[in-house]
Amino acid sequence: MHLTRPDKKSDIMYLLRSGTLHAVLLFVTLFFSCSDVGETGGERITLTYWSAANQYEIDLAAAIVDEWNGRHPEIEVKHQPIPEGSSSEEIVLASVVGKTTPDVFSNMWPGDIELYAQADALVPLDHFVDYDSFAASRYSPGILQESLANDGRCYHILWKTNPIMMAYNKKWLSRAGFDHPPETYEEFLNMGETITADTDGDGYTDRWMGITQILVTWWQRFFDYYTLYIAASGGKTLVENGVIDFDNNTSVAVFRFLQTVFSRGYFPRERMDARSDAFLHSIVATRFVGPWEVVHAEKFKPEGFEYDFAPVPRPEGCSGPVYTYGDYKSIVLFKNSRHPEEAWRFAKHLVSRANDLKLLEMTNQLPLRKGLTQDTLFIPYFERNPMMERFARQAQYCRGTDYSPVLKEIFDAISQEFEASVIYGLKPPEEAVRRAAERARLISDQL
Amino acid sequence: MNKRIKKLTGERTAGYLFVSPYFIHLLVFTAFPLLFSFVLIFHKWNIISAMEWAGLANFIQLARDRLFFRSIGNTLIFLLIHIPLQIVIALLLAEFLNQKIRFRGFFRASYFMPVVVSGVVVTILWQQLYGQDTGVINSLLARLGMVKLPWLTSIRLAMPSIAIMATWKNVGLYIVLFLVGLQSVPKTLYEAAEVEGASHWQQFRHITLPMINPTMIMVVILSTIGGFSLFIEPYVMTGGGPVNSTLSAMLYVYKQAFSFYHMGYAATLGFFYALVVFSVVLIQKKVVESEVPY
Repeated sequence: MHLTRPDKKSDIMYLLRSGTLHAVLLFVTLFFSCSDVGETGGERITLTYWSAANQYEIDLAAAIVDEWNGRHPEIEVKHQPIPEGSSSEEIVLASVVGKTTPDVFSNMWPGDIELYAQADALVPLDHFVDYDSFAASRYSPGILQESLANDGRCYHILWKTNPIMMAYNKKWLSRAGFDHPPETYEEFLNMGETITADTDGDGYTDRWMGITQILVTWWQRFFDYYTLYIAASGGKTLVENGVIDFDNNTSVAVFRFLQTVFSRGYFPRERMDARSDAFLHSIVATRFVGPWEVVHAEKFKPEGFEYDFAPVPRPEGCSGPVYTYGDYKSIVLFKNSRHPEEAWRFAKHLVSRANDLKLLEMTNQLPLRKGLTQDTLFIPYFERNPMMERFARQAQYCRGTDYSPVLKEIFDAISQEFEASVIYGLKPPEEAVRRAAERARLISDQL
Repeated sequence: MNKRIKKLTGERTAGYLFVSPYFIHLLVFTAFPLLFSFVLIFHKWNIISAMEWAGLANFIQLARDRLFFRSIGNTLIFLLIHIPLQIVIALLLAEFLNQKIRFRGFFRASYFMPVVVSGVVVTILWQQLYGQDTGVINSLLARLGMVKLPWLTSIRLAMPSIAIMATWKNVGLYIVLFLVGLQSVPKTLYEAAEVEGASHWQQFRHITLPMINPTMIMVVILSTIGGFSLFIEPYVMTGGGPVNSTLSAMLYVYKQAFSFYHMGYAATLGFFYALVVFSVVLIQKKVVESEVPY
């Protein structure tokens, strides 16, 4: 037998052939091992569902999923709280980029819908045959309109809302001689004059009328400027018919009001978020909050602390219902889902009447459902929780955010001007509002 | 002969295997991101949509971006306060800890402690200390009959306040470096100087400083690079405010990339900023080397 050493070229060819064969085998093995039984055997489909990561919502999601899995053995839902991160927005973005999204996600900020819709990452829900009847049964006409993206399609279920209201310290207000919470800017300023004080006589204020976050972070403006703008304008948002439309007298009035509040020292120019709760410990008399405050206050309030909620103040002469920022959260289906029909069925189950009641009872968050306070299923809950009923009534007069892929930048532009004008008084409100709007238009035009 | 070749080949393979983890790490986490961000500077990309060719648009935007240049200016202000303060305090404390004092080990450990504590924890702690109406520092000032200062809410005071905090956080590291430098100075030099009648100041000026010059260069360069990467402190404490007075260049790049998803523009800012840092460090090295010859 004569053995010859193969030459270099045939060596390479052998390696290539063998490498290709191994790669094909590996691919085929991986492909079939990753396919779920549902597709190959028609027996069982598995969906992944991400919920918010706070304990209340984890418990809610677990209860809903357990019930679903018990009733639908053919479609198993695996629940997982959204992975840890500095914000759920960042995690969702990372999962969209990495194509590791779940089938269903229930804590999407609607302000991001446009971005993901344009990137073709979301399943349009109106593609499902029963979407129209579903939407008609759940939404009021106003909310139905608000759920539509710029292309006229709907990519999310507006699931829950946290209407922003004004929490106030009842004892302080009555001690200061007021028989009702401030409804107008003038009343708020008058009350601020009485309540803001140096109680220990050291020459420095230690009790304030209210507080808002002084950080320039864009989303902080949802809870002061934007809420007050919606209230003062009777429910307008920043964009009208696709055009930036907030450089108006209403914006100027909101800026001027808050500027006065800061310049007179009725709100502190410092952060108090890493110390004991300023509202519950009677350091501030009011703050703008959502219904999460009810659970928080009931859990942590000192003995004898009395509080209540009222709509946010607005300029003198306004009439009609007081609108506010709704702080909505949505449910979305991602395009990566291999079972969108089943995911849609599960999403509808998440927002069934029974599960909306669970949402209320387990998390104290309000489902975005028409006629909530008149529905016999929910009435007993509101009778037991009168504070939540105030928020439920306010929920009829809410607005979300506009649909724009550059919404964060627009709010950042507003926040920059807000900081300079309102908090530090470096610019007149007119100039600040004009500059914010100019910047917002520039950002929008670059799209 | 064959055995020798085999041995050599085996050694070479083993060598490659040993360096491969580092090499792979370098490729994946340094070379690839560097190359990718170089590609990005000519593109518009929001992470989730397809990249769009932008040509030189990002450079044109950079040239017009006043806020970015302001953020560089802010960072330079921080460096101007932080570096001299850090060097002076670190050198004084190192000199003190180099003496034969009681509890020397305890003091050395204490000064180093903030270095190992998380930056975010230190920042949150100092945020409480700096509170205008409720902070500990202002409470002390008020008790002493002094005026309460708006440490983090004054446009003029916010960056110096951050520089003081950063100095407290990092000074321990530079104390250790200076201690090493001080202990390498031959004692005979001081003995000779004493015999000649040199005062403590003269010994410090003419012996200690020239002898620790290499340490000084290292400290200046390290603290400059560290200072240029100022991020956690303004991010947690002030968010860049008041009125952008603590907006550092790194914070601005971060905002462009991860708040607004302008990846192409953020990469352009990053490259430009790296050039600025490189130039400053180069100039600094030349100046420090020429100032005190050794």
